[in-house]
Amino acid sequence: MAFFEQHIHEEPKTFLSKYIFSYDHKVIGKQFLWYGIFFLGVGGIMALMIRWTLAFPGEAFPLIGGLLFPTTNGVIPPDTYAMLFTMHGTIMIFYAITPILIGAFGNYLIPLQIGARDMVFPLLNMLSFWIAFVSAAILFISLFIPLGAAAGGWTSYPTLSTLIGSPGAGQTLWALALFLLGISSTMGAVNYITTIIVLRAPGMGYFDMPLSVWGLGLTAILNAIFLPVLGAGLLLLIFDRVFGTTFFLAGAAATSGTGDPILFQHVFWIFGHPEVYILILPAWGIVSDLLSFFSRKPAFGAKATALSMTSITILSTLVYGHHMYTTQMSPLLTQTFMTLTMTISIPSAIFFTNWLGTLWKGSIKFPTPMVFSLGVVFVFGLGGLTGLYLATVTTDLYLHDTYFVVGHFHYTMAASVLLGGYAAIYFWMPKMFGKMLNETLGHIHFWLTFLGLNGVFMGMMIVGYGGMHRRIYNPFVYEFLEKLIPINTFVTWSAIVMGLAQIFFVYNFVYTIFFKKEKAEANPWGVGTLEWTIPSPAPVYNFKEIPVVKCGPHEFGNPALTGDRDFQYQTEEIPAT
Amino acid sequence: MEMANNGPHLERRKAVSSIGMIILLVSFAMLFASLLLGYTVFRLTNEVWPPMGMEMVPITLPFLSTLVIAASSVAYMNFEKAYSAGESKLTSRKVSYFMTLFLGLAFMAVQFELWAQMADIGLYVSAGIFPSLLYTLTWVHAAHIVMAILALLLLLPSVFKEHSDTKIIWILNIGKFWHFLGVIWLIMFVVIFAF
Ligand code: HEM
Ligand SMILES: [Cu+2]
Repeated sequence: MAFFEQHIHEEPKTFLSKYIFSYDHKVIGKQFLWYGIFFLGVGGIMALMIRWTLAFPGEAFPLIGGLLFPTTNGVIPPDTYAMLFTMHGTIMIFYAITPILIGAFGNYLIPLQIGARDMVFPLLNMLSFWIAFVSAAILFISLFIPLGAAAGGWTSYPTLSTLIGSPGAGQTLWALALFLLGISSTMGAVNYITTIIVLRAPGMGYFDMPLSVWGLGLTAILNAIFLPVLGAGLLLLIFDRVFGTTFFLAGAAATSGTGDPILFQHVFWIFGHPEVYILILPAWGIVSDLLSFFSRKPAFGAKATALSMTSITILSTLVYGHHMYTTQMSPLLTQTFMTLTMTISIPSAIFFTNWLGTLWKGSIKFPTPMVFSLGVVFVFGLGGLTGLYLATVTTDLYLHDTYFVVGHFHYTMAASVLLGGYAAIYFWMPKMFGKMLNETLGHIHFWLTFLGLNGVFMGMMIVGYGGMHRRIYNPFVYEFLEKLIPINTFVTWSAIVMGLAQIFFVYNFVYTIFFKKEKAEANPWGVGTLEWTIPSPAPVYNFKEIPVVKCGPHEFGNPALTGDRDFQYQTEEIPAT
Repeated sequence: MEMANNGPHLERRKAVSSIGMIILLVSFAMLFASLLLGYTVFRLTNEVWPPMGMEMVPITLPFLSTLVIAASSVAYMNFEKAYSAGESKLTSRKVSYFMTLFLGLAFMAVQFELWAQMADIGLYVSAGIFPSLLYTLTWVHAAHIVMAILALLLLLPSVFKEHSDTKIIWILNIGKFWHFLGVIWLIMFVVIFAF
């Protein structure tokens, strides 16, 4: 129920107010989209450099190697390697996936799907983007300073991340950049939550919201609560580095009165585990909706899906200890964390079954957004299942810090979240830019990406299971890893395939936005949620009249329908039968 | 975007911005909660506190800070009341506003005195975990007080201008932040200095 009706936005006139310092949630969403795609590219090239080193150590990185590493004739040196995997992780998680899913689609979808004219605090929204921009600039600059960027891993555990482990300014800038980004995301979160509470169109109860909005809203709640925890950890880390405090430095054998490196791990994972759900929840929501849209069936158990996402949100705050089994926690604690982690399987199984239930007996269509969504179902299944082996203390003692963990979280984040993001881009493209992406190129993009990523991440799990440690520079110097050399090479070739596949996307995306003439219809997919009741691309003011909501978001094939459509807009009443 | 003075509408705008502000304060609370959690962990895992033969900070100045910040909250509440009452309470509005501002600045002055005193008894920021924690918590809190004082200064023009409905929303929200920082200080006082 809207608390008040927003004014109709005036059309901005100048270039600055229209494209740069815009207050319009749709423009800010697009800004975040470009930002995210740019960093996806940067992080992707870093990934290829990492993979190149692991498959062909001592060989120059092709094409740009000589340019980037002139002192070593194009070979990636070990310290640069550490910076690469640190920045790859940081950039992908915080500057690519987060802006695309939360920044771009959070901004774009929330007001449109709940029937609002904008976010409730547009100024805050604009500031949120520009703070994120400054943060990215700081991180980017840190790549080019003496001693280079941060190199302690994306988790930045002390003592690697203290002055002892990384004396350069890069690590300080890293912490500063993430702190700023935290402020930006918190501002976004305040906006999203308040908007969802106060600006839903008349008639729209919480369960009438599309599941995308559910996912984005739950994410925002986790962001608002847990980003400050990371903020506290980063502050302490900055103090250690700048003011000479010793929060995370143990003195000679940790005499009482000195700090404790493990404390950072606690703080990091209290934030970090919710963070992984911050990333996946929007993708879950989007996929839940898309599966229903393209099966032309109501989402099976939509209410149960929403509620199980909610309970996962709550549970995700209680399980962080599963990242720290090897830090000499008491067995009582490890077992508690193990049990709590396993409990998450229950709600996960519920909504996963609901996904399958949605597909069951649907008249499934396979346009690009749908194949990406189906891809998410597959890879998230794998990612979630491998999580169970890591959550089990006994198996994790062996698997911890191996490539198995790397495989697991790439299946969940780099596969599920990324594919979910692509599904969203292909699906909402007509509403965002008024044109449809090319379907053939989309399918090629999907299949190459999908093949590539399974090769990469499955390969990672195999070498990890074989005992290969993560973050090592040259695995070939270890005798026990020699047999894994061919698989590592295979992984690298798969990564190259996955990388090249993105060219199809970039070409498609750029061509469609700037050169394609053909306009999209207002509702090309035949879907009833509110954003499809308005023209494509969405006008500045979104809705001329604030819509009145009369039914849920997934009304397909309702026998009570009278027209020749198989779906129903949320603004239409279902005739009583 | 000045709103006409239509009652229910104003109430709704107030509700909207309160919701936003409360979510924001939850975030701020989590920041302090994490820092206090860190403090508690060190406190409980050390047998002697303060460790390494350090001296505890005398309670006088922190106690004074507590009194000052409590008084500033009361002053701000008076300001809120006087502002809502409109033109009839113009003097009381000005008095309570400047009282709040003065007490806020006084709080900062006491903090600086506290830091000087800590340095006098050998508690430097890099001298060990105990002083580091003390400085971190008080610095982070003081940084927020500075933000609050800046926010208060934003209200300065409206103290002299006539009553406006949009301003009352600002005043209420800055008030929430102000009182919140008072509560946080009280918790810090109890956890760090009183025990
Ligand atoms: C579905 C149930 C899941 C379970 C039971 C689970 C369990 C675990 C466990 C136990 C670890 C720690 C492994 C170790 O370091 O030894 C881990 C690591 C990780 N998981 Fe999951 N996970 C699940 C889902 C997810 C999801 C949905 C995401 C993200 C979208 C995710 C992202 C990560 C990341 C990023 C790490 C490793 C971080 C690092 O050490 O660098 N996980 N997971
Ligand atoms: Cu976790």
